[in-house]
Amino acid sequence: MSSAVEDQFASITVSEKSRSHSHASNGSPNRDAGEIVEERAAAWRSEAEGHPVPSSSGYSGEIGEDDIREARNAGGQVDGVSGSGLQGKRRLDEDDASVSWRKRKKHFFILSHSGKPIYSRYGDEYRLAGFSATLQAIISFVENGGDRLKFVRAGKHQVVFLVKGPIYLVCISCTEEPYDALGMQLELIYGQMILILTKSVNRCFERNPKFDMTPLLGGTDIVFSSLIHSFSWNPATFLHAYTCLPLAYSTRQAAGAVLQDVADSGVLFAILMCKHKVVSIVGAQKASLHPDDMLLLANFVMASESFRTSESFSPICLPRYNPMAFLYAYVHYLDVDTYLMLLTTSSDSFYHLKDCRIRIEVSLLKSNVLSEIQRSMLDGGLRVEDVPMDPLPHRGSLLSHLGRQKPHMQDSPKEASLGIGGPAGLWHFLYRSIYMDQYVASEFSPPIDSPRQQKRLYRAYQNMYASMHAQDIGPHKTQFRRDESYALLCWVTQDFEFYAAFDPLADKALAIKVCNQVCQWVKDLENEIFLLGASPFSW
Amino acid sequence: MASTGNKNINAKLVLLGDVGAGKSSLVLRFVKGQFVEFQESTIGAAFFSQTLAVNDATVKFEIWDTAGQERYHSLAPMYYRGAAAAIIVYDITNQASFERAKKWVQELQAQGNPNMVMALAGNKADLLDARKVTSEEAQSYAQENGLFFMETSAKTAANVNDVFYEIAKRLPRVQPAPNPSGMVLMDRPAERTASASCCS
Repeated sequence: MSSAVEDQFASITVSEKSRSHSHASNGSPNRDAGEIVEERAAAWRSEAEGHPVPSSSGYSGEIGEDDIREARNAGGQVDGVSGSGLQGKRRLDEDDASVSWRKRKKHFFILSHSGKPIYSRYGDEYRLAGFSATLQAIISFVENGGDRLKFVRAGKHQVVFLVKGPIYLVCISCTEEPYDALGMQLELIYGQMILILTKSVNRCFERNPKFDMTPLLGGTDIVFSSLIHSFSWNPATFLHAYTCLPLAYSTRQAAGAVLQDVADSGVLFAILMCKHKVVSIVGAQKASLHPDDMLLLANFVMASESFRTSESFSPICLPRYNPMAFLYAYVHYLDVDTYLMLLTTSSDSFYHLKDCRIRIEVSLLKSNVLSEIQRSMLDGGLRVEDVPMDPLPHRGSLLSHLGRQKPHMQDSPKEASLGIGGPAGLWHFLYRSIYMDQYVASEFSPPIDSPRQQKRLYRAYQNMYASMHAQDIGPHKTQFRRDESYALLCWVTQDFEFYAAFDPLADKALAIKVCNQVCQWVKDLENEIFLLGASPFSW
Repeated sequence: MASTGNKNINAKLVLLGDVGAGKSSLVLRFVKGQFVEFQESTIGAAFFSQTLAVNDATVKFEIWDTAGQERYHSLAPMYYRGAAAAIIVYDITNQASFERAKKWVQELQAQGNPNMVMALAGNKADLLDARKVTSEEAQSYAQENGLFFMETSAKTAANVNDVFYEIAKRLPRVQPAPNPSGMVLMDRPAERTASASCCS
């Protein structure tokens, strides 16, 4: 091993010293989140005996993940001549020796069991071959002992591992996200890879353990970087649920009826979406679509500019539906944000699906569904300012709320309004319906109005979610946390999970009252914000 | 297959070639008159149609712009099966893409429709300074293999429409007795199973 590689090895290997350090930080009183989860660090069973950790890990910097967009633009200057993976690429000049590379807050790697790099979020895979081999050495060292490496803590950094047959996935992060959240992100990255290639790619490794998989993923960097970006803004990535575009019940019914017609003609799934929001989905009998598959499929389609230029027909795999087989996806954008996906098992059905799409498009235009979709996109979804505070039974319609141009704040007296936001200082909420596998999130409004603040709030929700779902600590019903940024309230029942962020100065009793009101409000509006009676989801 | 009826010809046309050779750029130039410097990688295959008037006939091209990425190679027959014409595209500044083009020609000769009109397009002809493949070499290869050859530039539009016109002109000659139904695209046998893998 070269000395540079040894240095890497040392910097990510845990020692007793660094572990005790991480436990010590556990006890510090003003940690905002994840205390319970942190305890699970004890669940790390492997005794990876390594070199002692140098006092400085080398990953100490503060380069934000938001750099990825900037990096993407820079990547666009690569001359489009030859070779795979030239677009959407982040700092190809970086490798594990670059200071900038080491300062990245969150790395993701995919490598093969022989240590060959497959994907890296930052830097060029081939230049990271040595680093990749080091990761492989760590993983197989533990595997050879009949054990499994879950994660390693090294100072501020957490290294999370996921082994999927011949494919290894690793995340190195100093974002303080809980292990469970990072593990799920690795699962989604693996799922995205399966969506592109199917699990039968494993056979390539059976034939040749040193198989180089990178060329097979050519041109998909942007799909992975878009997925990784969504880990910091899309709640679907940790809620395992999808969200719908708000629409009048009759409008969504009309869209569903149009799709149902084609589903009866041999289409496995007909999905109409607007950005990452579902308008309607219809599945063939007994076919069910997992929310994670929807997330990965929508990400794949939205990240690939090629789908916007014309109608496309492409093999894709739904990892939760059948990870071994390709389906064929007919994809067509009906307007700039709205796209139709028709999935089939038959590679010969392009012309049939094209006819279906033409029929669907004509019907949607005739029934004004498309214009309703566009209007809903402009109007947005639920707003915390609109949470009804009157005690009268409220049978409102979201769309009448959205229809009127309401000036923010003080047009109606609000009970104990704290600064900006909704009643009782409510800033934002997430509501996930357990039976429907759907969630609804309120629109962002001041003071959570910059991407950076939104990302911070998502991280806080993610921590809450992980602590509520940690298996070894029993089911939590409610949780209330307060720190200098927010007061967070979480409430889990048999029917729903509810997460809300309040002004840190909010009154706890009032906050609880407001949560009850929001949940009632969401129930009153469920006809419009959820896809009801979606049979493909009744597992 | 090309099919005629009252001088209206429907023809399925497929573009094949290496990653980054400029297949999508050629199609977009031909169909939409557009060019973007950094064209994104095609996923699967994109479908376009465009109608051309040639002499006194009307040719409606149904164009499959396939992805050059390696993972889609095994799926190419799905797109070229039944095609009346193919444009095999390479990048004149990239020798490897010319070698890849020859492989596509071999595959079409072995698997495709024997009456297929094949064109070899040396794209990026505007990048003369970076040229790696001489037009003589490509021309003689094309002649030996019964293709017609043109150097094109999607960027400047040079020869782009000409390739499609030339194909359109050649189509009726190779298809004197067209299929009477005029539509043979749907009922070909499913040789590939739905679970064909990317690398099997």
